[in-house]
Amino acid sequence: MGMTAVEKALARASGAQQVQPWDVVYPEPALVFVHDGHVEGARRELDALGIDCITRPERVVFATDHEVVYLSPRAAARGSAIRRTARDWNVGHFYDAGRGGHGHLFPMEAGLVTPGMFVFASDMHCSNFGAIGAVPVRAGPEVVSVLAMGTLWTTVPPSVKVVLSGRLQPGVSCRDVGFRMTQALLQSAPTIDIDYRYLELAGDALDALDLHERIALCNTPTEAGVAGVFVPPSARVLDWCRQRARQPFEPVSSDPDATYEATFTFDLSGLGPQVALPGSPANAADLAQVAGTPVQHAYLGSCGSGMYEDFAIAARLLRGRRIAAGTRLFVVPGTVECAQRMAEAGLTEVFMDAGAVVLPAGCGPCAGGNMGLMDSGEASISTAATNHAGRMGPKDSKCYLGSPATVAASAIAGRITDPREFLEAIR
Amino acid sequence: MSDPAWHYRGTCHRFGDDVEHDAQMISFDFVIRRVMDPEVLIPHLFETTRPDFHRRARPGDLVIAGRNFGKGKAHIQAYVAMKAMGLALACESMPYNTYRALIGLGFTFMTGCTGIAALVEDGDEVEIDFRTGAFTNHTSGVSRSFRPLPERALEIIRQGGTQGVLRAWWAARQAAATGPA
Repeated sequence: MGMTAVEKALARASGAQQVQPWDVVYPEPALVFVHDGHVEGARRELDALGIDCITRPERVVFATDHEVVYLSPRAAARGSAIRRTARDWNVGHFYDAGRGGHGHLFPMEAGLVTPGMFVFASDMHCSNFGAIGAVPVRAGPEVVSVLAMGTLWTTVPPSVKVVLSGRLQPGVSCRDVGFRMTQALLQSAPTIDIDYRYLELAGDALDALDLHERIALCNTPTEAGVAGVFVPPSARVLDWCRQRARQPFEPVSSDPDATYEATFTFDLSGLGPQVALPGSPANAADLAQVAGTPVQHAYLGSCGSGMYEDFAIAARLLRGRRIAAGTRLFVVPGTVECAQRMAEAGLTEVFMDAGAVVLPAGCGPCAGGNMGLMDSGEASISTAATNHAGRMGPKDSKCYLGSPATVAASAIAGRITDPREFLEAIR
Repeated sequence: MSDPAWHYRGTCHRFGDDVEHDAQMISFDFVIRRVMDPEVLIPHLFETTRPDFHRRARPGDLVIAGRNFGKGKAHIQAYVAMKAMGLALACESMPYNTYRALIGLGFTFMTGCTGIAALVEDGDEVEIDFRTGAFTNHTSGVSRSFRPLPERALEIIRQGGTQGVLRAWWAARQAAATGPA
């Protein structure tokens, strides 16, 4: 019987010939990611049980991305605790503040995560790694078990095939697709259930998509409860990974007779710019519905739009223009490498000339309360991963989400603006 | 003979579809404050939807619910209280992350029990063997057989959830390291 790519990766990591959806397996991950906010809790939990060492520390990655700049004594103390734990546990890959950047992005750039690899992570947006054809699974707080025992009981998720057709119109990006596609998938319930399903992208539209676009497609469905998004890597993506990989890798792909629980088709060509209304990234609406809404806060970055190309699109709109008075724009490169490229290519200068605040690589304001906050009653447009009430400030501040181009256009105008108004600049 | 650890007989507390943990089961405030002490949580369990629930529910009672029980974020404060009160749960469906969280907590439950909410009224006397999936409503005389949790999940719950598994694993490892050659 054929297997999907995800089933193959899980079978390989579990030492099994064959796995089926809903089987419970104990896969051994090639890497285990623990983000800065989860290290202290994991340490406390294992200490309380008297467990003073971890299994295969050489496979463990600590990523400092949620709180890169310590803005409180508590945060500085947490930084010390993380450093201590990295040392005590002999953690193989410790990325301290200012190193690496966003833990959902730099591991791909650094060639740590490679196609076909199965990994566990403490944070659900590890789903980004699906963009290069890796198979990540969120362990959440149970990452503690992975650290101690080297594995964790894992239910093999059923796969849902998502067939993308058509080509994007100018001024429309894969973030727009992500908002609308996730909404459409949720609206397909109960015929299609995406709760703990692995989406596998397919279709004619896929081959043309660059890595940053693939990442964008992994981002929003994650917030809606999928187990992950698997994007079969194109020849270009595989080349990019080969140039960076620290070790040889073996991609996985689905068998022609693999079984999918459902198939969903989505046409890219009919889509215009979208905005996710406050409350959920799946609250997609045509931008026209909210065009003109004043925004005091704007932000480019996050795990969904933190690659160099995302900033290049925004910079094309912002070059030679100024952000509206009364609006502040935060720019957060996803990774240190991205920040360096932005500086070398003159993008950083474009953002600063436009009046933006360029912050260090990491999660930025999306991490929730760490930096770049809103005041009560303010509204924001950003490329953040999520927009629940209170995510970037008081509960009554409003978080709209859009593509990098939409955020740049809106920051210039000081109100939610269709980026196609600057179409010649983004062609 | 049924295993007493998996066998519940008591009053049914019936809930419908889409019961959300935050707000509907327990105040979100306990989630933000990361309160995990069952003694603090118990008086607030279902307090907005079923005032006095904690006074009426008895050990061995069963919460029986419809689809999508525990929707929203997979927080666990309400289940911590339910477990400490000696309650168990059967529902028609729940989000996967809630399912995982309940197994991790070592809480006795069953999901995928299609149609179970229609088989009970609030206050019925019901009986469930969570090991076999056997369900009986003694008030109406209806019996059904549902699929129990997978064996591996039952084993984790039997050991006391994630913490219990870790404790047992570490003890075994220590014993192996210090045991006779």
